[in-house]
Amino acid sequence: MTDSDPKGPPRFTRRALLRVGATTAAAAATVASGLLLLDRDTGLPRHDLVKVRDHRVALPAGGTQMAIVRGKSPTENVKRAVEALGGMGVFIRPGEKVVIKPNVGWNRLPEQAADTNPELVTAVVRMAFAAGASKVWVTDAPVNNADTCFDRSGIRAAVGAAGGTLVMPTANNFREAEIGGELLRVGDVLYPFVEADKVINLPIAKQHSLCGATLSMKNWYGMLGGHRVRLHQDIQKSIVELALMAKPTLSILDATRVLLANGPSGGSVDDVKQLDTIAASVDEVALDAFGATLLGKNPAELGYIAMAEKAMHGQADFRRLKLVEISA
Amino acid sequence: MRYLLFAVLASVPLALAGWIGWRGHAGSTQQSASAASTAPSPADPDAALLALFEGEPASAKLKEKVALYDAQTLFDYVDGAAPTFIQRGFRKLGAAEMSAGGGELTCDVYDMAAPANAEAIFTAERSSSAKSAPGWPEAITGSKSFVFRRGRYYVKLTAFDAKAEAALPELARALRGRMP
Repeated sequence: MTDSDPKGPPRFTRRALLRVGATTAAAAATVASGLLLLDRDTGLPRHDLVKVRDHRVALPAGGTQMAIVRGKSPTENVKRAVEALGGMGVFIRPGEKVVIKPNVGWNRLPEQAADTNPELVTAVVRMAFAAGASKVWVTDAPVNNADTCFDRSGIRAAVGAAGGTLVMPTANNFREAEIGGELLRVGDVLYPFVEADKVINLPIAKQHSLCGATLSMKNWYGMLGGHRVRLHQDIQKSIVELALMAKPTLSILDATRVLLANGPSGGSVDDVKQLDTIAASVDEVALDAFGATLLGKNPAELGYIAMAEKAMHGQADFRRLKLVEISA
Repeated sequence: MRYLLFAVLASVPLALAGWIGWRGHAGSTQQSASAASTAPSPADPDAALLALFEGEPASAKLKEKVALYDAQTLFDYVDGAAPTFIQRGFRKLGAAEMSAGGGELTCDVYDMAAPANAEAIFTAERSSSAKSAPGWPEAITGSKSFVFRRGRYYVKLTAFDAKAEAALPELARALRGRMP
């Protein structure tokens, strides 16, 4: 309210100015709140957050918990590893939808060992179908150009050869999901991880200059869209938070060829060592601890392994699991 | 009533300005070569970086525009390797797919801002088994790979087939010849 002379212009009093200020602030807050409901990148209304469900299954009582297979054929190695855990039928029931997550992060050839071996992708897609899967998606959000990565790595062709469905990381293929971590509360997740009944993690083992090693838990970075810098502010913790959300049905570590230096992207074949090894488990922590040894590292060097174990995500001392080692 | 109307009208541009600023902060700083090269200048390090790719060095052709990455966006190209560069003074990366000798390769030129920084990253990334290129101690040749440093630049060439691999040394020498 102002004191005003009906014959003259209105005169603002201090009280009136305070009132206008308070009302303006309240209105600005209301409008800003409404705008916050819009997506930061697209400006479109935000859709509801979805949750990624727990995809784990119980292994047969007394059965093998981890299998390590060494041999010249990646396809035979992965078949033997999964058979040692009870067969793909333990993990996939007829009619279920399955998503397989290889590492396709880089514009690299298979021999450069920055991406999962394409032969393994073909094998695992076929094994999922053989177990009765009604749909098998293969997806990843690469660091480099996605089309180039899927082509150069041979994984686009590998998926096609096995009759799987490739899901590219285009904007409409992400769903805003609750991650539930302290660092990562919300993220855009590729839709198969929301819609699938079962999730198979299929990473490659390699050196990583920032976190020491890229193994199974680190592979979940590729289920997210958006700029990657935010994932690296506290990389060890981010890895664990994503692993705690993903909760895969089965993890299969590709150590056919391992990149021992200049990871995660590599480039020189001279940095690659042929190990012809596959390991499989439902315990990502154990798998990563084993993978660390392949890279010449003590698992205790990798902070995220200890953090994940503390968060009850698995067993870092993989030798304490019921373990079988097979040489073909 | 008129005060309420005034307040609402005043609040809209305020809130919009804040929101636009917030969205702008989230945006990428990645630039394309064409955008960055609109005002080339010898004193402009971005222009100097982009000029290295121009004019088909050693007959190598660009398959796409050169992408520039700064310290914020480098993660979008090299992911977790970014801090290794940033800690050593990284300024900007120019990266492109190229064709040479009938094959395909990637050419990554890191502007490390100073020769000492380029030497530091060259040493950090050099594996124990790496072989120096003949007569060129600041270059490493490997299978499908050729890496060298020159002045403030650190260059990684990666081939995707035998034809491109055979073309790497000549392309490396052509790039070196363009660097001060």
